[in-house]
Amino acid sequence: MDKPSHLSVIVDLSPTQWAFCAQSTAPPGLPLQTFLSQLLAFLNAHIACKDENTLAVFGAFPGQSVMLYSSTGEAMTSTTEATDPNTYRPFKTLDSTVMSSIAERFNSYDVTEEEEPIGLVGCLTKALCYINRTISVVSASAQGTEGATRSIDPRILVLSVSPDQSSTYIPIMNSIFSAQKLKVTIDVCKVFGADNVFLQQAAHLTGGAYVQIERTDALLQYMMMSFLPPPAIRQLISVPTQDRVDFRAACFCHKRIVEIGFVCSVCLSIFCQPVPVCSTCRTKFPIKTLQRLNASRPLATTPSTPGTPRPLTQKNGAALPRPG
Amino acid sequence: MVGPSIRIKPAGESSKASTVDGGETSHRLIGFLLSQPQSTMNRLYQKPSSCLSIFRLLQPLERQVVMNLLWLETPIPGATMAAWVTREGKRPYQEALSTLQSLHILPQQSTRPGPPQSVKHNLNPTFKASLRQAITGGGTSGSFGILAENDDKHPAPDIEALDAFALERWETILYYMVSSGTGQFPAKPSQGVLYLLQRSGLMATVHGATLQITSAGFQFLLHPPHEQLWELLLQYLQMAEERQMDLVEVLSFLLMLSTTELGKVGIHTIQFIAQVTQALPHAQSYSTENLSATQKAMLEDLRDYGLIRQRTATSRKFSPTRLATTLTSSSPPLPTSAGTGDGSHVQGFIVLETNYRLYAYTDNPLQIAVLNLFVTLKYRFPNLVVGQITRDSVKKALANGITADQIISYLITHAHPQMRKNKPLLPVTVQDQIRLWELERNRVKSQEGYLYTAFASHADYEWVLDYAKKLGVVLWENPSKRCFFGSVEGHMNIRGYIERRSAGNA
Repeated sequence: MDKPSHLSVIVDLSPTQWAFCAQSTAPPGLPLQTFLSQLLAFLNAHIACKDENTLAVFGAFPGQSVMLYSSTGEAMTSTTEATDPNTYRPFKTLDSTVMSSIAERFNSYDVTEEEEPIGLVGCLTKALCYINRTISVVSASAQGTEGATRSIDPRILVLSVSPDQSSTYIPIMNSIFSAQKLKVTIDVCKVFGADNVFLQQAAHLTGGAYVQIERTDALLQYMMMSFLPPPAIRQLISVPTQDRVDFRAACFCHKRIVEIGFVCSVCLSIFCQPVPVCSTCRTKFPIKTLQRLNASRPLATTPSTPGTPRPLTQKNGAALPRPG
Repeated sequence: MVGPSIRIKPAGESSKASTVDGGETSHRLIGFLLSQPQSTMNRLYQKPSSCLSIFRLLQPLERQVVMNLLWLETPIPGATMAAWVTREGKRPYQEALSTLQSLHILPQQSTRPGPPQSVKHNLNPTFKASLRQAITGGGTSGSFGILAENDDKHPAPDIEALDAFALERWETILYYMVSSGTGQFPAKPSQGVLYLLQRSGLMATVHGATLQITSAGFQFLLHPPHEQLWELLLQYLQMAEERQMDLVEVLSFLLMLSTTELGKVGIHTIQFIAQVTQALPHAQSYSTENLSATQKAMLEDLRDYGLIRQRTATSRKFSPTRLATTLTSSSPPLPTSAGTGDGSHVQGFIVLETNYRLYAYTDNPLQIAVLNLFVTLKYRFPNLVVGQITRDSVKKALANGITADQIISYLITHAHPQMRKNKPLLPVTVQDQIRLWELERNRVKSQEGYLYTAFASHADYEWVLDYAKKLGVVLWENPSKRCFFGSVEGHMNIRGYIERRSAGNA
């Protein structure tokens, strides 16, 4: 039961959203600085739990995804380490590495440019790749010791502030499927903003916790109770999951989140309106079926009106952001 | 008419089930801490590094409970906490709470009866403050060790040298133990170590002067290094009290060592800390300044055990070795235990065949000596020892107090990577046979008791026997010879009964 666990943390660092979050008054706002200090305490707590616990931190920046820290030391910038007898050194290294790499990114950020969509999917993919690599290394080295008992319990925590980008539906779903295959739990913490449909699904499908922060001043307590327990402990102490998951998907043709979609019977691609030819697998559908489907469509979901009750789509969401 | 006759030593004392499985059982140190008074624990909790190390030794569920409570300013009702616990978790959760209370991390609940809802949980304020400080950093405690100044004249030893040093010290101790009484005279560890071994009952003096390994010592040899280390350190802690050393200082120094780091070079005193130094690929040295007198005295002992290395006895710097830095983790405390040092030795070196033949790829005298405890060694090559597990060799080991499970677990932990492909890992025939040999030994069970004979009449015999049977203490009876054997517990009662009866008859 007491085996080391790996945690990959994905931090959404969209400057615009954090500015909104800091100015928000309806739920009291949370400045990025405060958020980061609470985050570092949480990361330290994870490392503190067990000496062999590993950690990777990924930052999702507009149009970029960056590894900020990993306990295997890949993202280590050659920081000049000031030593401090009052602090446990791994904590010190972790804190300074994460802070300096975030600062570095923000300094190089050009304010005048139009903000690109956030590189959340890139982070998710990188985290999964990283976990995959760690697992294969561990299982190779564990042959010598007690075999399967040495395996790590990997999980991913996504700290999100940005709204959904419907354009990233397909890559997010693909990540979820790979996470399921790798037995990686995805936890989601929505620090600010409305519920995130895709991340909700990610947490639900991988058995992770989904928490919408209601009181930002208690963020650390939320994180400690919901996201610190490794999967083994979650059998004994439950973590908050959702009763109602928004299972809506985004269509492949316009990247809109739809309530009623039309699914290709061959490749299961989703469309917001009946199409004569599937754009993914090129299957041709009989004209009669098309007519029947068109006739049965509710009027509200004509292509001219937004297909979702909530305006979650972004104007510039049509282009797929490239991971990395 | 009553005579205590057979007195047999209670058997099976040495075969107490040793808990080999990792994880589920709590750490040895926790067991020791449980017996400490609150004042000691509170003083210990003043150091952030001690809190962090103790926190790491806790069970996963206990750690989570601590973490849930750590950042709360006000006590939380017990019912709120319990609401998070699943149905299966109820029992472990209650156990975790009671362990934490015994460790004085949670204050003891008053024993007054009341509805459980009224219970409020809050961490011990000292512990809370220190662990918070450990996690967030800062403060002025300096409890994580002050790094020594980088000294060009005497550079800190590199990690390889440290590993070699730790290994050499540790193996000297073990090798001394295993070869005691065999007529060989290997290098002796220091007096302090010898005294410790004797105190812990791992070795005992026989025939006056010479130290001989005991059956506890044989079992000790087959334990994984991490357990061996803690076994000795716990003994050291118990000794510390007798030597008028301050237990809190000894403990907090050990726990501080466990948070130190291998492989960095640091600086000397507080005023240098602000300055930025250049990191070299050398091992970490820590300064002995602001260690207390007790802790300075400990340096010598720890040097003998191989936990730390000092250049000279009076040096003001010390470097913790891997033995020290892995005290609170489960990563291997020793580097590879073989002379050649290529990768395969990390994994294991023993190949065992179904015909009881054993091949050990090693040239390490300690490992060969340990194998010699339960294997008849046949040939020896520069990198290979060949032997046979025989009935005699296993019986010899069993006679030394080693159990079959210990032999099997030793073979499993040190199995060669090639063996890992087998399922099950060890040949079943050999495993079963070793167990059968052990059972053979345990065919005769001994129990202490009294034999009651020479009853005047058969009626007398029946009366007493009936009474003894009611007590359930009869182990054996023979009506034709009018005698029976009762266990020790029943003796006083039976004796009183007989005396009362004979007094009544008279």
